[in-house]
Order: sequence, then C-alpha cells, then structure tokens
Amino acid sequence: MNHPGTAIVKLLLPALLLSACGASSVVISGSFPTPNIGKLPLSLAVVYDDTLEEFTYTEYSETGQEEYHIQSGQSHIELFNAILPAMFDRVIRVDAVEEGAGAGVDAIFVPNIEEFQLALPAKTRLDVYEVWIKYNMRLLTTEGDYLADWVLTSYGKTPTETFVSTETAINDAAIVALRDLASTFALSFAQVPEISDWLANR
Amino acid sequence: MNALKFRETGQGKAGGLLLLLALIAGCTSTTVDEFRQGDTGIESHESVVILGRRQAGNRETSSDFVECVGDRLAQGVDGLSVVPEQEFLDAMFPWFEPRTAPLQPEHLGRLMVEEQVALTMRDFGVRYIIWVDGFTETLNRVGSISCTVAPGGAGCFGYGSWEDDASFNAEIWDVENYNGVGQISTDATGQSFMPAIVIPIPLIARVEANACQRLGDQLKSFVIGG
Repeated sequence: MNHPGTAIVKLLLPALLLSACGASSVVISGSFPTPNIGKLPLSLAVVYDDTLEEFTYTEYSETGQEEYHIQSGQSHIELFNAILPAMFDRVIRVDAVEEGAGAGVDAIFVPNIEEFQLALPAKTRLDVYEVWIKYNMRLLTTEGDYLADWVLTSYGKTPTETFVSTETAINDAAIVALRDLASTFALSFAQVPEISDWLANR
Repeated sequence: MNALKFRETGQGKAGGLLLLLALIAGCTSTTVDEFRQGDTGIESHESVVILGRRQAGNRETSSDFVECVGDRLAQGVDGLSVVPEQEFLDAMFPWFEPRTAPLQPEHLGRLMVEEQVALTMRDFGVRYIIWVDGFTETLNRVGSISCTVAPGGAGCFGYGSWEDDASFNAEIWDVENYNGVGQISTDATGQSFMPAIVIPIPLIARVEANACQRLGDQLKSFVIGG
C-alpha cells in the first residue's frame, strides 16, 4: 500500500521541476504621483496603440533560455494617465489618430516604447538591479501631420536586498524608471524645439 | 560532585567566551566630523526634510537609513519636525527626482522661482533640506560554516567573520537663504562574528545603526545650533 505522502511527493515533484524550468512573469505595478507643475493651455488627445499597451520584454539567461517576461504596457498607460491631466488643460483618450480629428483637440500625442533593457546583479556583478527604457514620443496635428518626434530615455535602479525576490526588485527598478520618465517628460515637453516653436506660434 | 563541578566550569567558560564575543561584536568605532559654514536655528513651526542622494551609478543611499536618521532627529523633548522623505518627494514631484534634483544649494533659488515648488515648500514649513549620501559595505569576509542534515538531526560547524564599513555625508541647506550651512560626515566600522557549534550564533556589529544614531544626534544639535 502506498503511503499518502508518496502520492503528494509524486504530484509536487513534477510541478516543482516544471516551475524551475519556466520563465518568471513580472507585471510591473506601482503608483505614480501627480506632477506639481503648471498646466499648459492645451487640449490633447492621447493614443495608446497596441504595441505600447501589450509591451512585454523578455530577458534571456546566458544560455539563451527565457528567464523573465516583463509586462510593462499597462503601467506605462497608468503613468501617462496620471501625468498628462496635470500637464494639460484637457486630455482625452482616443483609439486611433484618425479619431483625434473630430475630438476638438489641439494636438494628438502618441507615446511608444522603442527599447527596454534590464541589468541583473547576477550578470553585472553590481549590487543593483537596473532598468533602462528608450521611448519614441510623437506629437501630431489633428490631421495626423508631425508636430514633433523625439526620443526620451529613462533609467531606474534598486539595490539588492536580503529577502527581496528578483521579481520584486525588477518591479521596483522599473517603477523608478517610470518616475524618471514622468519627471523628464513633464519638465522637458515644452522645451522640445519643435514644440517650443509650435507653442510660440499659437 | 566532581562531574557536576566540571560541567558548571565548562558552561561558565562557554558563557564567558560568548560574552566576550558579544562584547567584541558590540565594539563599533564611529567618527563624526562637522564643518559649519553658517548660523543655524529653527522655530517650532518649521521642519526639516532628509533626502537620500541617488545619483551614483552602482549604489544609492538607502531609504531605510534616511528614515532612521529622520526618526533620530524627531526623538526626544527637543525633537524636530521631520517631513517623511517619500511624502516630500511625491508632493514635490518631479522636482526632486534623481535626475532633476538640485545638486548645489544655489540651484535652490532657481527652483523656488517655480510657484508650485515654493507653495509646497511653504506648506511643509521646510527650513532645512538635509541631503544624505553614502552606503554601507561589507569587507574582509573570512571563515566558513558547513551545515549537515542527517536522519538523526542537523547541525552546523565553523566560523565566519566580516567587517562592515558605513560611510555617510550629510549636507545641510538653508531653504530660507538658499545656501549651504554645513556638512556632517560619519564613518563607522565594526567586526561581526558568526561561530557555529551545532547552531550558528550571529554576533552582529550594529555599524549602520550606530552611524545613524551618531549622525542623527549631531544633525539635531547642528540644526538647533547657534
């Protein structure tokens, strides 16, 4: 007669082995403060296209195995939803650039992630987790013509700590990078040369 | 009777050894240096905020240390009103983030031109901003401990030792006059031990805690100062 413990071990062992082989999934989540800045007298339509909304970065191990799937699309949308209303008089969300034309706005904003990089202490031999993100920001007229097209980068890091999992540390570093994006975007928006000229001519 | 005596003496020796190790482990050497550039003083309605510098690439000032120094400043009958770091950073967002924070006290004047920044600073009643920059590192790890698990039980045997070095510098900025009024630096070192006879006994030197305590006390007297 089989011992009941043996059955449990038989069930758990494959699950444990499988979990050791698969990649971990990290969904970036956190809260973002509202920028404490003056509003620009602009009404803006924002388009979060599918590439941003479903953005996932995969980190590979040194042997080429998938190690971490980092889903950060939704956290970026939450971030823009927190900062844009503090920066502009009126902000509406539209599904496509074409929808912006009839929305009675001054411009259409389309943010996108171009590149995502992750540095883990196991690979860099540093005592920090680092996240680096490169963005392409586009500001369009209601007709869909370019007003400005610029690149922003953001960086976040978090120190290694005892009893803190790699997943939590990656999330923390990504949240610092998102805060960095928000601060740079909020303070540099009106200084992008094309935007500065457009604002001056309005 | 003799056997009992031997046991008592043996226990006494072991206890004595542990006490000695605990005393050695408790020995942390801390030095504090103060450099004053201007007069200080604080009214009861004014507060201070302690912020960690996080510009360096491969390390950053721990928010736990910043919180510890803040708690130390707020303690006692002469305790100061301390604005929590995260609350201040969120309220001031995006002006005090690692990439946007002022690096020199003179830059504070430029920042205070922003109406929102000046209003928030006034709401908090911040008189002094204290920037803390530093870290604790572990050096000279020696020894090894091996643990064994067998059907009859488990146990560890061995010895480990390491040195912790905490080095922090605090810069005090006067928000009213937009200038730096002084700097206080603290350096603490201590040796930790971990003998293992069946169970590991950690005898940890409280290096960072001592650095926090000494820096906090010195900052408080500096700000109240004269």
